[in-house]
Amino acid sequence: MSVGTLEMGRNRHNLLFWLVPPVLWFTVFMIIPYCLLFYYSLGSTDYMTFKPGLSLANLARVFHTDPYLAVLLKSAKIGALTAIGATVLAYPVAFCLAFHTRSARSKFITYLLVIVPWWAAYLVKAYAWKTILGTSGILNAVLLNLHLIHEPLTLFLYNQFSVVLTLVYIFTPFSILSIYAQLERIPTSMLEASSNLGATTFETLTKLVIPLSMPGVLAGAIITFALATGDFIAPALVGGSDALMISNVVINLLGVAFDWPMAASIGIVMIGVGTALISVAQYLEHRSEARF
Amino acid sequence: MTAIIEARQLQKHYGGPLAVRDVSFSVMEGEFLSLLGASGSGKTTTLRIIAGLETPTGGAVLFRGRDITHVPAAQRDMRMVFQDFALFPNLTVWDNVAFGLRLKINRGRVTDGEIKARVGQFLETVMLSGHAHKMPHHLSGGQRQRVSLARALVTDPPVVLFDEPLGSLDASMRKSMQLELKRLHRELRKTFIYVTHDQEEAMGLSDRVAVLQDGSLLQIAPPSDIYFRPNSAAVARFVGAANVLDGIVESTSDGAAIVRLARNARVAARDNAASAAVGDAVTVMLRAEQLRLAPAGTGAAGSLTARVTERLFLGEKVRYELILHGTDTRLTALDTGDRGGFQLGEDLAVSADARYVRIIGPSQGVSA
Repeated sequence: MSVGTLEMGRNRHNLLFWLVPPVLWFTVFMIIPYCLLFYYSLGSTDYMTFKPGLSLANLARVFHTDPYLAVLLKSAKIGALTAIGATVLAYPVAFCLAFHTRSARSKFITYLLVIVPWWAAYLVKAYAWKTILGTSGILNAVLLNLHLIHEPLTLFLYNQFSVVLTLVYIFTPFSILSIYAQLERIPTSMLEASSNLGATTFETLTKLVIPLSMPGVLAGAIITFALATGDFIAPALVGGSDALMISNVVINLLGVAFDWPMAASIGIVMIGVGTALISVAQYLEHRSEARF
Repeated sequence: MTAIIEARQLQKHYGGPLAVRDVSFSVMEGEFLSLLGASGSGKTTTLRIIAGLETPTGGAVLFRGRDITHVPAAQRDMRMVFQDFALFPNLTVWDNVAFGLRLKINRGRVTDGEIKARVGQFLETVMLSGHAHKMPHHLSGGQRQRVSLARALVTDPPVVLFDEPLGSLDASMRKSMQLELKRLHRELRKTFIYVTHDQEEAMGLSDRVAVLQDGSLLQIAPPSDIYFRPNSAAVARFVGAANVLDGIVESTSDGAAIVRLARNARVAARDNAASAAVGDAVTVMLRAEQLRLAPAGTGAAGSLTARVTERLFLGEKVRYELILHGTDTRLTALDTGDRGGFQLGEDLAVSADARYVRIIGPSQGVSA
């Protein structure tokens, strides 16, 4: 055996070593589950037992039968509102982090303040909003003490507003990090050049900073939209019947109605919609991507 | 001529040593002034203070006699060309150049038609008319720098500031951009303030050069004065290849001072000799290109004897590193190659025309 083939043999070993884990991971956790999901969506149920089949009826039912489409659209609306809310809140924070936090130390602390809430469990944080917004909650207590209201208000909790508020609170860090990463790439000299040419802060912001940060804004919005649209804890804890979301419907179909084909069909539709949205966003991101 | 910019005792403190200390100078209307210094000399900080991108911790900046120290950068009548070009990557070449004209500050002052005409004219000036609709990242380094130049000039500022604008270009590009800058300065008659660490660039382009070191202004003078009449050893060392040596004045006669550099090594200095008296410890400057080299024993009377320790062939010149006999004093000599090269280790007779040997001032006690 020549040295060359020995080399090649070793390279092949190396290649396998690096290739096998991701391929295995991808197959076991992505491809097989998606195939199963698709397989289930084509079947039907007979008295709570699954019957294999090859029918697209369930997929059609997502669009034709109440309340699936309506709930799906409502979930998308809540997801979109969350994405908008998170972006609006995140932008100034990311901006300060990128341009107004001079010392490495204060940068680290601000960064930490953004990350730290993630050390607490999601459930706890969602529950915390319940105690803030409820009739005997902190918000009502404050308003009562200030004599702004005479009896506790119920309008804070158990509606779409409380769901969006909770989701915005939980997912804003994703937007902050994503926007910050993009703003970080803008060289200071570019902002200096702008003001040197006579631009006001507002002009620099609208003509340069915001357009240049669009890829980060879009990426952040897509993440928060996807996470919020598929969320089921916030609607279960702080959302009333009005704020029931598509994941809650899927849970009911799986656990209560044992209608796995229907649940799988909704899943397939959501994956399809999600993929389409991400593709559009990717395209927009790529188009607005400026090379520094 | 009147001063358009005046820096008065500028000071900048970042914590640690002063970045700029007591820097004062004025720039005349239409002048090309270079701020020359090594990195950390405070030249860029000084320029940024003038631009308003940095607030001085002391001193003042005057524009046509008016104190503008606290006027925001956006409201100063000067434009800057940045080392990294700082082009706006989301805008085309055309929109980059038009950026300043389209701002609120120019609203009502410039019509759309004028914007079009001016942008077109300046793109032509920098020879980029054919690239107007390209994005900056499709251009070469030299082209990008020309866009940034057009962007600065199009708003017709009385003062243009340059922060090492050619620093990131390759040597041949730098040469042609230097010619272009010189031409633009002549044609536009604007005041240019130019930061560079390249002494050749500073000398070639400027009407006057300001040499900075460790935050202090050492000398501000026309290039030939900086070169031939440096006011300190630091300036002499920084500009060109000069040998700056310490010695003691042994005698003076007939406008010449005889300075003893070391045991058995003496030079006659005529330039600025009047400033020295017998017994003074002085610093003398011998320009490398003024040293005459000859094989040992054949040199003029009063030659120094030195040995070649290094020989660098530079093309039009040969550079020799020499060490004076019986001392540890080192000299650099530039010799035209036509006299036949000298070899490594060869002993030479080194002489200098006393007219070009300059007494810079009292010695600072540092041995060269």
